Amino acid sequence: MSSDAATQPNAEASKAAQVLTAPWKATANFRPVLILVVAMFVFFSLTQSVFSSEQNLKNLLADSAILWVIAMGMTFVLISGGFDLSVGATTALVGIFMVKVLALGIPGGLVLAMMIAFGALVGAVVNGIPIGRLNLSVFVVTLATMIALTGVVELWSGGESYYVTAPIAGMIGVDSILGLPVPIWIMGAVFLFSFYVQRLTYFGRDVYAIGGSPAAARLSGIRVPRTLALVYGLMGACAALAGAIAVGRVGAATPTVDSTIALQAIAAVLLGGTALTGGSGGVGGTAVGVLFIAILQNGLSLSGVSSDWQNVVTGVILLLAVLSDRFQLSDVFSRSSEEDDGPGDRDAPPLETAGAGAAGMLDGIGGPSAGHKTPLDG
Amino acid sequence: MSSADGKLPVLSLQGMRKRFGGVHALRAADLVVSGPGRVHVLLGANGSGKSTLLGILSGQLRPDAGTISLSGGPVQFSSPVDALAKGIAMVSQETAVAPDLSVAENVLLGRGLVRRWSGVSWRRTERRARSVLERLEFDCDPRARVCELRPDQRQMVEIARALSSEARILILDEPTSSLTDDEVDALFSVVGQLKREGVAVIFVSHRLPEVFAIGDEVTVLRDGTTQAQGPIGDFDEHSLVEAMVGEGLAGSVERRASKAPAGGEVALAVRGLRVAGAVHGVDLEVGRGEVVGVSGLVGAGRSEMLEAIFGARPAAGALALAGEEFRPRSPRASIESGIGFLPPDRKGQGLVLGLSVRANLTMVESMTRSRVAIPHLGEEWHRVEGTCERMRVKMASAEMPVGALSGGNQQKVALAKWLVRDPTLLLLDEPTRGVDVAAKAEIHTQLRAIAASGVGMLVSSSENEELLELCDRILVMSRGRMVASFSQDEATEAKLVRSAGGHV
Repeated sequence: MSSDAATQPNAEASKAAQVLTAPWKATANFRPVLILVVAMFVFFSLTQSVFSSEQNLKNLLADSAILWVIAMGMTFVLISGGFDLSVGATTALVGIFMVKVLALGIPGGLVLAMMIAFGALVGAVVNGIPIGRLNLSVFVVTLATMIALTGVVELWSGGESYYVTAPIAGMIGVDSILGLPVPIWIMGAVFLFSFYVQRLTYFGRDVYAIGGSPAAARLSGIRVPRTLALVYGLMGACAALAGAIAVGRVGAATPTVDSTIALQAIAAVLLGGTALTGGSGGVGGTAVGVLFIAILQNGLSLSGVSSDWQNVVTGVILLLAVLSDRFQLSDVFSRSSEEDDGPGDRDAPPLETAGAGAAGMLDGIGGPSAGHKTPLDG
Repeated sequence: MSSADGKLPVLSLQGMRKRFGGVHALRAADLVVSGPGRVHVLLGANGSGKSTLLGILSGQLRPDAGTISLSGGPVQFSSPVDALAKGIAMVSQETAVAPDLSVAENVLLGRGLVRRWSGVSWRRTERRARSVLERLEFDCDPRARVCELRPDQRQMVEIARALSSEARILILDEPTSSLTDDEVDALFSVVGQLKREGVAVIFVSHRLPEVFAIGDEVTVLRDGTTQAQGPIGDFDEHSLVEAMVGEGLAGSVERRASKAPAGGEVALAVRGLRVAGAVHGVDLEVGRGEVVGVSGLVGAGRSEMLEAIFGARPAAGALALAGEEFRPRSPRASIESGIGFLPPDRKGQGLVLGLSVRANLTMVESMTRSRVAIPHLGEEWHRVEGTCERMRVKMASAEMPVGALSGGNQQKVALAKWLVRDPTLLLLDEPTRGVDVAAKAEIHTQLRAIAASGVGMLVSSSENEELLELCDRILVMSRGRMVASFSQDEATEAKLVRSAGGHV
């Protein structure tokens, strides 16, 4: 599609076409899953009268808040070319930490901010620096973090659950604002923030560049180690926020680490069209991926189907989604790989008058001595 | 396979033709190895079709037309394994050994491990490997791990592997490019041993002295066509170089008028640059507005030198940029000091293919901006649009992934992203690799214009023709050292080829 556009003689026409089809094109990476989500929604609405009730939809969303928040952070990690297995342990650790700090009587809002900062620090220092600066394997580092933090959680909690009475917990987990449960507001806020970071900051673009080609990013002056530390820090902050939501919804901090939450989040990100190889995807797709898991789970349990089927279906769909993604990718880049076979490049545009090009260069490039300052200096 | 009777050639390729898309890699290539125990030298400049011919010979590529015969009987190779089974083994330029396995395992990898009912018999496997090593007079413990060996020893392991399959024809693709003189002597004595055993060797090299020292017969390729072939005694150095580069070609390259660098101001001065294992003490200077070329064989240390100046590779030595002392700590620091670097691998290092043209073009430009700031997309584009237009990048939209552009346009984007920062010095490694002829000419014109605006340029290229066309001055590098320097008027392709091969 886009490769065809490159060779279109009429650039104007394809430009106009692109503007018209842009929103639809934006879903290209996760279109099959998006269609499935809509189809499932319609199907469950028709077959289960309770499904589309306001209360059920609120529950469905609020129940998926933890996965949602973690998956948003995980999206950046996957775009950067990595993944993070340790988020479940961070989530549990923050839960215990939060309850213990709340018991000291520190105000709830401050505690929440502290927890998020703590999660960010853990992610950036324990995962981000070894991966970014020391170039250690993502798998080994995050696995080691997961195991070590799981131990810390068990030691610190002594295997007991801690109940919370502080009002902040209920505020995050169960209260409603303007008729919507707070977890849903948090989901919205995290999504908007992630979308902003992804699309509208240079940091977001750096993450794509590093995932797409670490060598090119480094040679272009991007601070790769620092950016990766920030990516894992962001992931840690999301895991901490998810931990706070979990405490709020359960009303207690439990000493059990959900070791599958990291993998579920990775699955949601992959369902949303982000590739494990990095450099592509985005949080919009991740939102669809989380909704897929949430709707499937909710719909099946309303239909009285064993929840174990939910995992079977999710696994199969994940495989199919990645498979369809593979075929799309090979379409877009087929030309590039062909070029590698032959020494030449056959579909480059014809040479225009070289002399005009030279004249254009002369008055434009202007060395530093030419006093031709572009607005990009400084 | 019938044994060669001395009349029929061991190997004969006639009229080989191979196209990649619209490019003829081979048009009418012939190669005849006249008998067993002959060393046949294959010569040709970059892009002459040598690699394609070797690919066909080793079963990796299928020819479009032409016949191959072994000892008179026509054959076809369906795969590298098939070619090996028919007695042709190749030792490629980059050594392909499993570094963590032992010498014995590497030598006998795949076919030769001695099995018995309980698994592999290591004692007998080692004995078999030892006998192959002895045949090569290569003194080495079969139990040593290959990663502990020197490069020349690893190469010997590869040759031993080729021989363990009872190859009758051994292809050595530039085997001396990474060896020291002593190591080359050792290799030659092995080749002599193989000759005595009746193994025919096809030997690829750019180094003419070697060619005369070891070759019995020679084939010269140019533009995918066999230009000359025959016993080595029929040729001298001059006639071989002429066959490689073509008669009077140097004169046919269109030259622009030579221009002295403006005011003699120095953009870059390098003293005693060293990179471990690649560059051994290089001095050079590049003036403002001057285009300096670096010629040399593969493995001469050209790329390593450019990377070291850019700070992408640790190095020792003194550098000065526009008269001020400069230490290349990292690519980022070098960019801030006014250096730009066009890497040789556009797809892996020069660009992020999945990102938009705009994101790629502004990557360097936005390097020093706040990372949390919002890039005003319209304004951002406005800043680079002019550069993009001047570089004549053809695209439907700046938002399309750069990977969807043609190779020539990709290369222009990879170059243009440096220009928006007004660099003092541009380092270019293979500036037109994988680009079609038209785009190449266009890029050359643009590079000249950029230089004319006062930017110093250091250009490394494996295509001498490109350097002759582009550069004010051409340095020749060989084995990590600068061995020759030619002004634009002096330089000819023949001179460059000769000095790169070790003749000054």
